[in-house]
Amino acid sequence: MLLARVEGSLIATRKHRSLNGWRLLICQPMDGAGVPQGGPVVAIDGLGAGLHQPVIVSTDGAAARHAVNDPKSPVRMMVIGIVDEISRGATR
Amino acid sequence: MRLGTVIGRVTLCQTIPALRGARWLLVSPFARGHFQQRTEPPAGLSREPSPVIYDDLGGGLGDTVGFVEGREAAMPFDRDTPVDAINVALVDDVFYSPLP
Repeated sequence: MLLARVEGSLIATRKHRSLNGWRLLICQPMDGAGVPQGGPVVAIDGLGAGLHQPVIVSTDGAAARHAVNDPKSPVRMMVIGIVDEISRGATR
Repeated sequence: MRLGTVIGRVTLCQTIPALRGARWLLVSPFARGHFQQRTEPPAGLSREPSPVIYDDLGGGLGDTVGFVEGREAAMPFDRDTPVDAINVALVDDVFYSPLP
């Protein structure tokens, strides 16, 4: 799973039917200190994550297919948690 | 899903039966500093490699598309198909405001 920050959203009227009705959030993966890692990805969101909020994004399609209730859906990234606090301990 | 701009189309003369008659788009994926504002896609290609994606939504040249890569891309097909990148959204509008 990815730790990411919500950085925007997008509107797409013409899309795979299983995505109808889902918010599409632009999430930028980041490390514990908030430094961006790689390029942004787009995840479906059913939790209502707000702009610039840190979230946890699942990159396995199984959970997302179950959420959209379509076993033939090509959906993959999904916001599965909104992060309250990131505490980084010392790594041994 | 990742976003990208359609920069070309690919027509295959020989392919396996499962992929005969398919439509393929050449896409330049968005990098972080490369993101689209509102509806006009950004100028210039990104340094990342441009994947060829399977398309059944009718994406055209210059469109911004959302495509999925990996095993999930082969899910919509009835039988096992060797597709690992598929177009899942034609993006109309992007709201993008990164933290500085």
